[in-house]
Amino acid sequence: MPLTSRTYEVDDLMAAQELYHSNGWTDGLPVVPPTEAAVLACLDWAGMTPDQLIGIEPVREQAITAEKIAINAVMAGCLPMHFPVVVAAWQGMLKEEFLLHGTTSSTGGCAVLVIINGPIRKEIGASGGFNALANSDRATASIGRAIRLGLINVLDVRPGAIDRSTLGHPGKYSYCIAEDEEDMTWTPLAQMRGVPAGLSAVTVMAAMGPRQLMNEWTHEPEELLETFAAEMRGNQRHYSIYGGNYCIVVPKQLRDQLQAAGWSKADIGRFLYERARIQRKEWGEVGKGAVVRDRGESVYTALESPEHLLVVGAGGPAGGFGAVIPPWMGHKTKAVTVPIGACVDCGPEPAKPA
Amino acid sequence: MTLRVLDPTNEAKPATGEAAQRLLSLRGTTIGFISNGKEGTKEYFGHLGRILQEEHGVARIVMRTKSNYSAPADKHIVDEIRQWHAAVTGIGD
Repeated sequence: MPLTSRTYEVDDLMAAQELYHSNGWTDGLPVVPPTEAAVLACLDWAGMTPDQLIGIEPVREQAITAEKIAINAVMAGCLPMHFPVVVAAWQGMLKEEFLLHGTTSSTGGCAVLVIINGPIRKEIGASGGFNALANSDRATASIGRAIRLGLINVLDVRPGAIDRSTLGHPGKYSYCIAEDEEDMTWTPLAQMRGVPAGLSAVTVMAAMGPRQLMNEWTHEPEELLETFAAEMRGNQRHYSIYGGNYCIVVPKQLRDQLQAAGWSKADIGRFLYERARIQRKEWGEVGKGAVVRDRGESVYTALESPEHLLVVGAGGPAGGFGAVIPPWMGHKTKAVTVPIGACVDCGPEPAKPA
Repeated sequence: MTLRVLDPTNEAKPATGEAAQRLLSLRGTTIGFISNGKEGTKEYFGHLGRILQEEHGVARIVMRTKSNYSAPADKHIVDEIRQWHAAVTGIGD
């Protein structure tokens, strides 16, 4: 099936850059010119036709097709083998509970965090090691960027247009990590969220920037996690008090200590559910006394439940650092996990016994 | 060597709605306000409603608030709009 997008003929690579920049089709950085051959290679790799429907943006009812997502993936630097991850991320973003329009248009300025699990990480070279939250490797860099370019071009999420962010954050260029599954005994995130072992999956979350923390002076799990809880409470005091999906990134040095003490991801979720909570009156200590009103004693948990915590093992082998990645705005958006190239719990109903 | 490259935008734009006919006068009309629920809309919309009634002869002001300030207006509010002559919305940040 041929591609149907409008084509432009340009003299050379630099002319292509000017075409895309002058039309507002970039994130401000150079792009890979999306030729028909490159776009078809992505679609072929994923076994998709150009008109295949990825989903429909629920507010403006815009159909999102594989062809347009592939064009933007090529522009971001994706190789064909990266494309199925991009598609799965879009499928997650288009679920109603993700609230795509709200999360991409809000003054709050969040980005889409993409977390990759499963065998595909190794196939595409997505590293969960050194520099995990930044420029760790080609795969995560280009996949994260493909999400942003797709939002800009397919849904007009341009600054000042649909994107009304006051500040935004650097993750809006690219915000993608892979979990370091080989270097931990914990259950991978996707399995914690219901994906069968052995399958690859992505989890998308409308996320604020990472709040980095450090504790290299204890081996006690409760003390280590108290630092994470304090950072979550800080976010509740300074940004949003409301509970939702928080992600924490735990590198090997801290992970090893927690694992040696027998703490699972579920244990961490239960601990942080109890410890990451504040009273509304604490807003009065940080300049927000005007909205405490008569609810000063009300308690707000950072997590709606222990299961709302996304624990991701990632980061370089040394350093007692960690990160708390807060949700955009409490429970108004939910993290979504989607298997890659597989359908879980979506087949026909099993035949009933006669 | 020339390059043939592709348009990355969603060329299949959904049909856009048409602007409603402008009111010739506010006198005797019903005006609805849809707040996104943020603090900034409360006093401002109340003040604007009073001005519309006291100085422009608006007969009735209807105040509605979305249940989620980041999502479209709730269906019951959208359904109610047809009973109004005009609607005022705002983000109230």
